[in-house]
Amino acid sequence: MSRINPKFGKELKKYGATEFGSCYNCGTCTAVCSLSTGEDSFPRSMVRLSETGNEEEIAASLKPWLCYYCGECSTNCPQTANPGELMMSLRRWLMAKYDWTGLSGYLYKSLTATIIAMVLVAIGVVVFAAYEKFDMEVIMHSGHMFEMLAIAGVFAVILIPNIARMWYFTIIKPGKNVSFMKYIKSLGEFLIHMFTQKRALGCDDNQKRWFEHFILVIGYLTLLFTTVFLDWFGSESIFVIVLGYVVSAVIFVVTFDFVLGRVKKNKEVSKHSQPSDWFFVIWLLLMGVTAFAVRLFIDLDILENNKWLYLFHLAVLAQWALIIVPFGKWTHFLYRSFAMYFAKLTVV
Amino acid sequence: MKKKLGIYICACGGNISDYVDIEKVKDSIKDEDCVILAKTTMFACGDSNQNDMDTDIKENNLSGIVVASCSPKLHLSTFRAVSERAGLNKYNYVHANIREQASWAHSDDKTGATEKAILLVKAAIAKARLAESLEPIVIESKRSVAVIGGGVAGLKAAISLSRMQDEVFLIERDSRVGGKLHELDTISPEQLTGKELLNILEEDIKNEKNITLMTNSEVVGYSGNIGDFKLKVNISGSQGQSQKDINVGSILVATGFNSYTPADGEFGYNQIKNVITLPQFRKLLRNSNEKLIYNDKKIGSIAYIYCVGSRQAKGDNKYCSRYCCTAAVQASLDVKHKYPEIQNYHFTKGVRTYGKQELIYKESNRVGDIYIQFLDKKPPVVTEYDGAISIKAGDLLSEKKEIEAIADLVVLITGMVPDKDTSLGSLFKLPKGRDKFFNEIHMKLRPVETVIDGITIAGTCQGPKNVMESVNSAMSAAAKSHSFVSKGELELEPIIAYVDKSSCNWCNACSEACPFNAVSMIDDGGKSVATINTSTCKGCGMCLPVCPSDSIELISFTNKEMESMIDVLAK
Repeated sequence: MSRINPKFGKELKKYGATEFGSCYNCGTCTAVCSLSTGEDSFPRSMVRLSETGNEEEIAASLKPWLCYYCGECSTNCPQTANPGELMMSLRRWLMAKYDWTGLSGYLYKSLTATIIAMVLVAIGVVVFAAYEKFDMEVIMHSGHMFEMLAIAGVFAVILIPNIARMWYFTIIKPGKNVSFMKYIKSLGEFLIHMFTQKRALGCDDNQKRWFEHFILVIGYLTLLFTTVFLDWFGSESIFVIVLGYVVSAVIFVVTFDFVLGRVKKNKEVSKHSQPSDWFFVIWLLLMGVTAFAVRLFIDLDILENNKWLYLFHLAVLAQWALIIVPFGKWTHFLYRSFAMYFAKLTVV
Repeated sequence: MKKKLGIYICACGGNISDYVDIEKVKDSIKDEDCVILAKTTMFACGDSNQNDMDTDIKENNLSGIVVASCSPKLHLSTFRAVSERAGLNKYNYVHANIREQASWAHSDDKTGATEKAILLVKAAIAKARLAESLEPIVIESKRSVAVIGGGVAGLKAAISLSRMQDEVFLIERDSRVGGKLHELDTISPEQLTGKELLNILEEDIKNEKNITLMTNSEVVGYSGNIGDFKLKVNISGSQGQSQKDINVGSILVATGFNSYTPADGEFGYNQIKNVITLPQFRKLLRNSNEKLIYNDKKIGSIAYIYCVGSRQAKGDNKYCSRYCCTAAVQASLDVKHKYPEIQNYHFTKGVRTYGKQELIYKESNRVGDIYIQFLDKKPPVVTEYDGAISIKAGDLLSEKKEIEAIADLVVLITGMVPDKDTSLGSLFKLPKGRDKFFNEIHMKLRPVETVIDGITIAGTCQGPKNVMESVNSAMSAAAKSHSFVSKGELELEPIIAYVDKSSCNWCNACSEACPFNAVSMIDDGGKSVATINTSTCKGCGMCLPVCPSDSIELISFTNKEMESMIDVLAK
């Protein structure tokens, strides 16, 4: 038995879902959803849990991660309850729930908090540069070190514990019995979904978005690899330099299209942008653009006279690595993949 | 004088002629006694055949017509009208049904179907030979209507009748008119309160010269029939009781409903503190100021349990009370409006805020009310919980899982039940349905008439209705009652029963059999005999078979006519 908790609905509104109270449970959303199945039926069931404030079941549910937001549910909702945005908000709420630091929740709910955090990180970068007397060589070397440390640190301190919490909430706490072998056998599912987002292809008319997203993921991971492990900015290898140019350009083009979509609001998925959505696409765009420009300035040998550009790039990078990756929308990438993995674990 | 009959046999475009050999039927009956004309036709009901019949009747001076075609339900009145247009009294028309009773029923046996059709037509001819011209019974009708009940339906009907220049007696049991309007606050979907609505109606009543308003009045005596009802009305006033006789042409009953009273313990009613009914809650809300307080408890959350006394899974009241979903949602919105911080929980069986009322349901969802849809099998269980009240129910919308709400106040959304006072229904012998509300003749085709000629029903005495629907039915009943009295006289169907006084020895059997109270005893030269009220008799024939001396005949269905038909058919 669960007790109705109207406060939950009010809390969820801060994560972006404002209309779901209008739902009269007709189930049109579930009927039109091309990913909903008999076993994993949504979004209506999630709307209902949100309305009655059944926090425990929501925390244990993987369904929000099974949705790829094609928006058909919201387009067809006769009450304009916007179930698609509810699913998105539930993902935000879950990310906050999984996060042991509690910072995700703050940043999702408060734009002011996010801006303060972003500004603080930028100031940190400038202060560090001033401390190093704007010596470009030292700063760039530190920047490279920072990238590696940040990735390792964020994973070790934030993301891995959070994944463990997600595992606890969705598998252990609900008392699901999973054999060790099952964990091994299902790993394939995890990797496939992490790198291909295969499930999103199940959404109707989603091929273009899926393809763009696929290119973006591959491009982003390649850029990460190129800058961190191949030391793009320091490399002399023509292969590495060209690869870096190509992938940063790819990121730039794809994210530009995503930003444009959010500005135009012509698709359901891009109609209801929360600050976290904006930060994600804009910072991704900035990363691509600034990385491209930095390398270009290096090749043109004018970076020494335009130190600001590298500092700008480093600030964007630091904000990305310290705020958006651990506490923002980036974690979608991780949680979704694990959700698919955990979902596979419990399939008999 | 010997009858001159014209016979028409219809093919019904093949519906009949595909199975019944209509030419053979024609040949078999054309030489029957009195038949001077026999024809087959593709469509008897078609305009060209109707014109042919008209010409035939006039040219051949026909004194009787038989059409063998479909069911008389479909076209009896069509061919009666043709006869009348051609100058032939319509009761000389006899109908034979050779479609439903021959061609359709025996499509597997064409020979048999044809033989049966021949017999049916011959039987109709036998009846037509004996048919007599009849004239409608004309009675005088008083240009006045008694409207019983001064609620919204009665008030609106009285105003409507008065404006059609009928004299109206508006009889109200209570000391003031308005009925349940006094208890209603906001009436959806307009934002009009019961009080405001009543003010408008009272103002109208004052301006109507044709209305005699009688408050503190109850009808205690009734006699007469359509056009001429006599009512005895008891009036209790400050100087004691008085009685008044009124004489009206029609009676419009609009006696309203009672709110269902839950049994002790039904959802905790009368057993758990802070469990009240919707009317009680309305009163509480009306009398509350800055804070909503009940039993010294500040109310922060309210649970509404719907369908209390309606749509009962285990009780007698299977019907939906129609108004309560809307009334409950409206009440909860009024709460939100006055006390925005209060949380509402609605335990429903499915919300029925139909039509324009749907908008308030949407509004209610928008302001954050939570709806739980319980199952008949798992109705809400109301228990005390830590100074508040716990309501648990299986929620259909949450995969039937049990769900609980904690509230400070529980409001039972009680439905409508018939008026406790059943004396009026008994007095008029108004039939009731299984739901114990008064019954109309036909829900769709004759929705405000009762089987008692001249008595109409309006508003919630007929069954649950909201204000709008009550007013609709009141206007409709007023129009119907007006049609009974407007001409000053009424034409009644002449096919009724009559008594042969010479052979009747009053035994009461016919009187007991009569469903319409049309038989009474009179003295006929020292002998008690039965007599039939021509205005009340409907010609149903119930009195005929019970008469031990065979002294009652039904006009147009006399023993002689029926026997002549049977003779043909049994040959």
